[in-house]
Amino acid sequence: MFPTLKTGAVMQYPGKRVLQFSTDVVRFLDGTEQRYRDYAAVLHRWTIKLDLLDESELAAYDQFFVSNQGSFGTFSFTDPWDGTVYANCSLAADTFAFTVTGEMRGATTVTVCENRT
Amino acid sequence: MLYFPQLSTGATGQFPIQKKLTARTIVNQSVQDYEIKLADPGAATTEWQISFAELNDQELAALEVLFAATEGRLTPFTFVDPTDNLLAWSEALNQAIWQADPLLTLTANIADPLGGTRAFQVSNAGLATQILQQAIAAPASLEYCLSVYVRSDQSAQVWLVQGSQTNAYTISPEWTRLASAGQQSNEDETISFGVALNPGSTVDVFGMQVEAQPAASLYKQTAETGGVYPNARFRDDVMTITTVGPNRNSCEMNIINVEHL
Repeated sequence: MFPTLKTGAVMQYPGKRVLQFSTDVVRFLDGTEQRYRDYAAVLHRWTIKLDLLDESELAAYDQFFVSNQGSFGTFSFTDPWDGTVYANCSLAADTFAFTVTGEMRGATTVTVCENRT
Repeated sequence: MLYFPQLSTGATGQFPIQKKLTARTIVNQSVQDYEIKLADPGAATTEWQISFAELNDQELAALEVLFAATEGRLTPFTFVDPTDNLLAWSEALNQAIWQADPLLTLTANIADPLGGTRAFQVSNAGLATQILQQAIAAPASLEYCLSVYVRSDQSAQVWLVQGSQTNAYTISPEWTRLASAGQQSNEDETISFGVALNPGSTVDVFGMQVEAQPAASLYKQTAETGGVYPNARFRDDVMTITTVGPNRNSCEMNIINVEHL
């Protein structure tokens, strides 16, 4: 389960999500072109920037990263914009870093990406 | 045993602290974005960047002694993560790392104070005090704080165990977070923490946590690894110290734990 904050929220503002297609374009000498879709469907990616986290919340993300072995593991992620559940998602990076500048003042950024199934 | 020293306050670090975990995943990616992934757990690393300010000469000397003894990044030392719970499996008291005396009975999935069902009920059916404890591979001479949530419908007392010290605490049917801080005088290279139950008592236990500091911070859940790193190293061969006045020193330490070394 992807960790939630103590408020129950998954993200904080500013939230960022990316929708990605992949299109192959073959351009001919006369300027016309043919286009092919590489992806069967759109892929989603969410960048979750978190601030003012307490130690428990940071520890939950730390454990989640370790248990997933970075970008290796998969989990289901609920899009906080529309509640859609994406069953096959991963952490986008093999690195997880956080900074604690004081008590209950932790900050981190996590990126979740949808995998092709 | 080489280990990272505590400051005179009992803290291992100062704010700000940065921690970075790195994993390695081998990815075979197709043009359609299908992926085959392989994990490489042996390549995992953990790094800390700790900035120290206003250190007195004694605190700085302790850091310098360690840096000299390790010869920079050459030799490993034990590092207790100031941002983590030092106990492993903090919510799985039935894991093998926990040593339960033979007459203790553990029941999982008990309601916990955070609204879940991750607490354990611990019962002592024997006629003598029984202990549930975990040993960590960290120096006994550091100052530690053991904290745990407990409640009981029928027992009025529980003991917190920290090395050779035990302290009795009164408990009630309401969840209470107990904390016991202290420092051992011996030079052992491991130390055990846990709870001890009087004969015939039953206590609900949740969120056992140990930190190398004089007071408890918020509870942090752990799984197979706690916050003790016996093979940590300095990341650099250079230690830069700035002194702005008598007994006023600052320096920055970069520490790394690499699983495959």
